[in-house]
Amino acid sequence: MITLLANRPAAAYAAQIEQFGQLAGLWNTHITYYPPDGSPASHATGAWEFGYALDGRAVIDVWQVPGRDTLAGAPRAADQECGLCVRIWDPGLQLWRFTFHGTAHGHLIHMYARQIDDEIVMEQAEGDDLVRWIFSGIRRESFHWRSQRSTGGGAHWRLEQRVRAERAGAAAAAGDLDQQ
Amino acid sequence: MGSAAAAGSQAAAAGARAPSPGLVEVVAAPSNLGLRPPAPGREPGAWRAPGVLLSEGLDRRLNATRIVELPRPSYESRAQPGTRIRNGITIREHALRLADAVASALAAPRFVVVAGGDCSILLGCLAGARRAGRCGLLHVDGHRDFYHPGNYDAGSRLGSAAGMDLALATGRGELLLTHWPVVGKPLVNDDDVIQIGDREPAETGPGSLDRPIARWPVQDVLRDGTAEVAGRALGHLRHQGLDRVWLHVDLDVLDHSELPAVDTPGSPGLTFDQLGQLLSPLIASGRVAGLGVTSYDPDLDPAGEYAPRIVDCLASALATLASPIAGKANT
Repeated sequence: MITLLANRPAAAYAAQIEQFGQLAGLWNTHITYYPPDGSPASHATGAWEFGYALDGRAVIDVWQVPGRDTLAGAPRAADQECGLCVRIWDPGLQLWRFTFHGTAHGHLIHMYARQIDDEIVMEQAEGDDLVRWIFSGIRRESFHWRSQRSTGGGAHWRLEQRVRAERAGAAAAAGDLDQQ
Repeated sequence: MGSAAAAGSQAAAAGARAPSPGLVEVVAAPSNLGLRPPAPGREPGAWRAPGVLLSEGLDRRLNATRIVELPRPSYESRAQPGTRIRNGITIREHALRLADAVASALAAPRFVVVAGGDCSILLGCLAGARRAGRCGLLHVDGHRDFYHPGNYDAGSRLGSAAGMDLALATGRGELLLTHWPVVGKPLVNDDDVIQIGDREPAETGPGSLDRPIARWPVQDVLRDGTAEVAGRALGHLRHQGLDRVWLHVDLDVLDHSELPAVDTPGSPGLTFDQLGQLLSPLIASGRVAGLGVTSYDPDLDPAGEYAPRIVDCLASALATLASPIAGKANT
């Protein structure tokens, strides 16, 4: 399947593609879930890998909870997620079109995304609610992501999930530097 | 730099220069995307309005120097993915095309008259006008058009953008139709909006305002007169320091006895004469950058009775711009 992936953004929309393209590579994730009933948060770890695709017109990623390192060669359980995200810059809409295809629970999610200031905001309308997935604090070695939901048309948002991502190998490299 | 951004830069370079009398451009925006289907399997006929108005001589009556006709977008009755707004994706695409046309006309500089179409065209009009900087909104409409997911049950039915255009323009609602290239969000600040002519007195319930905006409902216009309300609106613009506004005219501000051929007719409302008298001093003030006219549905006017009256009304309102020998605009 070598035609799926690409090494660089398409030249025509390179600046836009790089909004997500800068995330290309493998990341370790630390995930916190905030239940809607106010019960204590729960935690998990996973892996998130991004790459250019479709002649550089798209950025795709694979979201895994837990990551392969945690599985240590064991098969992934049926309810453990391994999902695919596809992001395509649409020049006619001046937006990203986004789909998430989950394999564990059959989730299929459509969203639209734009860079707003220093965040990339993805949104879908779901019934009465607006749901946003937001990338923030993007650095070479780390970024943050959060999922939030509004039942009031965007006036107020409730945090559902938060992710801290570190580039795989970055923590080890930082540890190496600390020891020098 | 893309064509949209290039047009924006041209417009920015042009600043808020007022066009000379006689320099009117008509943009035909044949949209029905923001309306409900009138019956299962049928499309609203508002998309035909620009063609009908041009056939009735709108461009000649306005002495238009240029006509731009946008392609008709495809209408879908079913939900599009990721949005609870009917035709939300297509509305954005059409709005961006319209924004390019408006920005280009304003940069010329020409006074632009956008012939809709349904009220969702407001988004493209403002997105284009805003590329040259701050631009207020005179929203002349029989309804507030303020539905957004915060004030109605968005899960129960698909939303119609023609009932949401003021909410979307002020940044309320889905990202899909509230965040725009060059401009960002919102297209217009609440404080830069004037609403004239709505007949919905309730301040609570679905579609209600969540904060005050400058507003003169139709009852005020009928009681105090068009000249008085136009004067108040211009006074508000001066107070806000707004030298430049977009004028949105939903023809459902007319009483249903004057114009029943709209999606949501109502009463009380204005007569054609009153509407012309209301718009004329606003346009003559020199503060109006362009005008969008919406909601006429030729399918509801099979005898073609109302199109000539609409054209007469617009020609009367725009007389100071349409005439090459018109006098200098006053403020």
